[in-house]
Amino acid sequence: MKLKHVMIVLRKEIKDLIRDRRTIISSIVIPMILIPLVNIVMGGGIQKFEQDMNENVTVALSQSSNTAEIRELVRDRILSKNPNIILVDTDDPVKALENNEIRCIIELESSYKEKLEEGKPIRVTLQYDESKSKSQAAADIVAWAVDEFSAEVIEERITALGLDPAILQPVQIERMNIAPNDKGNNMMLEMMLPFLISMLVAIGGIPAATDIVAGEKERNTFEPLLTTMPDRGSLLLGKYLAVTLFSFVSLVAIMAGLSIGYMINPNSLTMGVDEGLKGITLEPLAVVLALLITIALGMTFSGIQIALSTIAKSYKEAQTYLSFLMLATMIPGYATMFMQASDLSPVMFVLPVMNTVAAFKMVLSGSINYFNLVLALATSIVFVALTLAFAASLFKKEKVMFRN
Amino acid sequence: MEQMIEVTELVKKFGDFTAVDNISFSVSKGEIFGLLGENGAGKTTTLRMLATMLRPSSGHAVLKGYDTQKEPEKVRAQIGILFGGETGLYDRLTVAENITYFGELNGMSKDAIKERIRQLAQAFGMEDFVNKRASKLSKGMKQKAAFARSIVHDPDIMLFDEPTSGLDVTAARDVHDFILRCRSEGKTIVFSSHTMSEVEKLCDRIGIIHKGKLIECGTVDELKKKHGNDNLEELFVRLVGAK
Repeated sequence: MKLKHVMIVLRKEIKDLIRDRRTIISSIVIPMILIPLVNIVMGGGIQKFEQDMNENVTVALSQSSNTAEIRELVRDRILSKNPNIILVDTDDPVKALENNEIRCIIELESSYKEKLEEGKPIRVTLQYDESKSKSQAAADIVAWAVDEFSAEVIEERITALGLDPAILQPVQIERMNIAPNDKGNNMMLEMMLPFLISMLVAIGGIPAATDIVAGEKERNTFEPLLTTMPDRGSLLLGKYLAVTLFSFVSLVAIMAGLSIGYMINPNSLTMGVDEGLKGITLEPLAVVLALLITIALGMTFSGIQIALSTIAKSYKEAQTYLSFLMLATMIPGYATMFMQASDLSPVMFVLPVMNTVAAFKMVLSGSINYFNLVLALATSIVFVALTLAFAASLFKKEKVMFRN
Repeated sequence: MEQMIEVTELVKKFGDFTAVDNISFSVSKGEIFGLLGENGAGKTTTLRMLATMLRPSSGHAVLKGYDTQKEPEKVRAQIGILFGGETGLYDRLTVAENITYFGELNGMSKDAIKERIRQLAQAFGMEDFVNKRASKLSKGMKQKAAFARSIVHDPDIMLFDEPTSGLDVTAARDVHDFILRCRSEGKTIVFSSHTMSEVEKLCDRIGIIHKGKLIECGTVDELKKKHGNDNLEELFVRLVGAK
């Protein structure tokens, strides 16, 4: 095997792939534009949804409760601390609820005044439409407001009896967050980013791998290539490095896209769910280890992709095999996606894809276990060697190379 | 005369199937040797073994003194190959880039490749399209580019595997001219075909291959004389039918 030959093949493959519209669209354009765009749109959608739920909560009194006295009680006492709840006056509140003019109907029992004075519980009925998320949320918001009013009444009654309202709270729970002060809630980022990085690196080389071996076979360029001076190992390594390089092209493209998305709307990174980049402190050594694990993942999958593309007789056959690989890659990806760094077990650090997801979760969470990271790197190197050896063995097999 | 190719008791088996069965022949320098046979006779397998793409199950092939199994890289440096059907060019590369790639892989320096492309572009009339991508070329242009690519490193031995397969008369004639041109440059040629007329037209000697066995070998005249038949096609059918 000669490095000179490897580099000649690598240079040619890069030039060839860069000129391939299919590869450029699937490796660069789609990851760079589509995923950040989805993030921005979804992030905006989630934020707007949350905003819509909590703002302009329109409510009305039921026909039987729509008296000046009850209106005053509801407006000035029950809902007074909730400016987001708007009490609407309507003759037919049920129809208004159906027409989405209001989200919830409040009804107080007719004897509410006497019962309040007598210190008896009064019944407040909230009518809402469970099929409408805004109506359901409005019922919850109004229920909280009623609970607050109830607590106020209790306090008034206890005070009137000459007692300390604290008597009703024999135990007081105090929650203490012992996480470092600078540590924010990055759940969404810890969930999305490691998954995205791992998946892109694992599947990013697929278009290149399909084109570089199966595509060559189909276009009849492979046999002339095999009659040139270099040995098969050099040809394989040149192609392998090209596929590995393209595995990272998608990652770089998506990172660029996410960065642009972040500049346009910082919430896009986490779909507006948590604190985004706020509060993330990265340990340099852990970051380096995670990057090395990612590179090893890219190399492992490049080996598998080249092997499958070599086995395939045609471009289409290679696409079929590699789409199965894509699905198989998603299983460990999704299995770890929703886990938090503290839930990761050492087994996850020895399996491809899972180990990269786990490493990045660890890096982002700041709770680093260096033994696990080194374990992930060591096993990743073994996988690189195994998959490359497998691809090399196929390149030497006449039955595979000349299947057609 | 110097023997450029010596094939001795060459066998190739794929599992239980014997594709090439104990064939032996030699080709002298500057000679065109034709392998004549039906589809599946073992011509392509033989050429693939000569080109070191396949390893023989037994026997030897020595090209310009290099054994295909012991020194495959050196063998490959001595050969140029042209396949029939598709030209096998990289569509997204220009003609010059296609030729350069093969020149580099065959150990040529950048300057030598540049000069060689200039020569070949002139020789094949490719000056107008040498910097165009292969995908933009007509079939004829592609064929010229494939010729040029196969001889960029000036190999002493040329292997042609059914090079006129699927070509029209004019394109097939261009291939014939190219083969004759290679011979005039002193190259040794092995040429496989199932077309009697072109074999008769081009080859100094022929070997008739059938079911992996070399059943006859000699000049066309020798074979006609030996079998008392002046028509090569009839002779071929009789030989193949008899086996």
